Amino acid sequence: MARTDALTPDATQAEASVLMFLLAGKQFAVGVDRLQHILEYQAPTRTPRRPPYVDGIIQHKGRVLPLVSLRRRLGVEGAGPEHPAILLLAGVGADAVVGLTVDQVVRVLSLPADKVLLPPPRVFGIRAEFIRAVANAGGRPVVWLDERKLLTSAEPITLLA
Amino acid sequence: MERLALTKRQARRPAEGAAAPEKFLLFRVGEEIYGMGLRALREVLLPEGVTALPTPPYQVCGSLAHRGRRIPVIRMRALFEAAAGGTPATARVLLTQGQGRAFGLLVDEVLEMAEVDPARIGPLPALATLLPPACFRGLFARQDRLVLLVSEEGLGGLDEVVQFYAASA
Repeated sequence: MARTDALTPDATQAEASVLMFLLAGKQFAVGVDRLQHILEYQAPTRTPRRPPYVDGIIQHKGRVLPLVSLRRRLGVEGAGPEHPAILLLAGVGADAVVGLTVDQVVRVLSLPADKVLLPPPRVFGIRAEFIRAVANAGGRPVVWLDERKLLTSAEPITLLA
Repeated sequence: MERLALTKRQARRPAEGAAAPEKFLLFRVGEEIYGMGLRALREVLLPEGVTALPTPPYQVCGSLAHRGRRIPVIRMRALFEAAAGGTPATARVLLTQGQGRAFGLLVDEVLEMAEVDPARIGPLPALATLLPPACFRGLFARQDRLVLLVSEEGLGGLDEVVQFYAASA
């Protein structure tokens, strides 16, 4: 199968739900199955000698979780919005729940299986191994990130402008 | 009704089975607040006597003459990559001991003592820091901030502290 073929029903569910958001003007998504909550921004407690893409730690309902900047994880320069949204993702690494800051939440998309494509080798400079699939919304590509790989791999990623 | 009339001393006693609150000394490094167990604290000193050590091999440790011997002093700003600039006037050295080795922690400011119920102390998230997990006992929430508790046992096992004693043996 060519990398840009539609995913077969075996490879995904008949319809996938993703949360679409903006980062550096581009459309990205995470699976709704990984999403626990969307929070308003809260300033994190800065932790010592943290990974370069970690902003610190925050509290949510008595739980302490790390806050990851997707901008920095994707090597995007510039600060972004003053108060980004926080997506709480579960089951994406060693921590039970991880907070991920994104520029702006857009909406939940239901993607029929035949509209979800395997990614080409690179999308916006991001290698295919960090991408679950590619879809289309409003005539523009939506990159469905591999949430787990994104947060467990130490390999740098560079989003091209 | 009489059974409810506890004396003040009885009322202060923790419930049966509950651990007694633990005391921590809170200190600042850079912008954030940290804590260390008060039981491990030996002395608090002014930082005047702290001298630099050759880099490499020492990246975070300095040295301090104390009661006739030299002990390593962990510059917490350097260990935590917390802040640049010189040592502030409020800086102090906390003398402690871990894994049988005496050492100091050079902190930016000593703040206050806190009593914390051990049940309120939780673990650090895995992504929180690249430092060895043994450097921390855990953390607790203080108002809307989180206070990381350093472990004197973990810090006493840092390579530079071990190296300092190996070199001076």
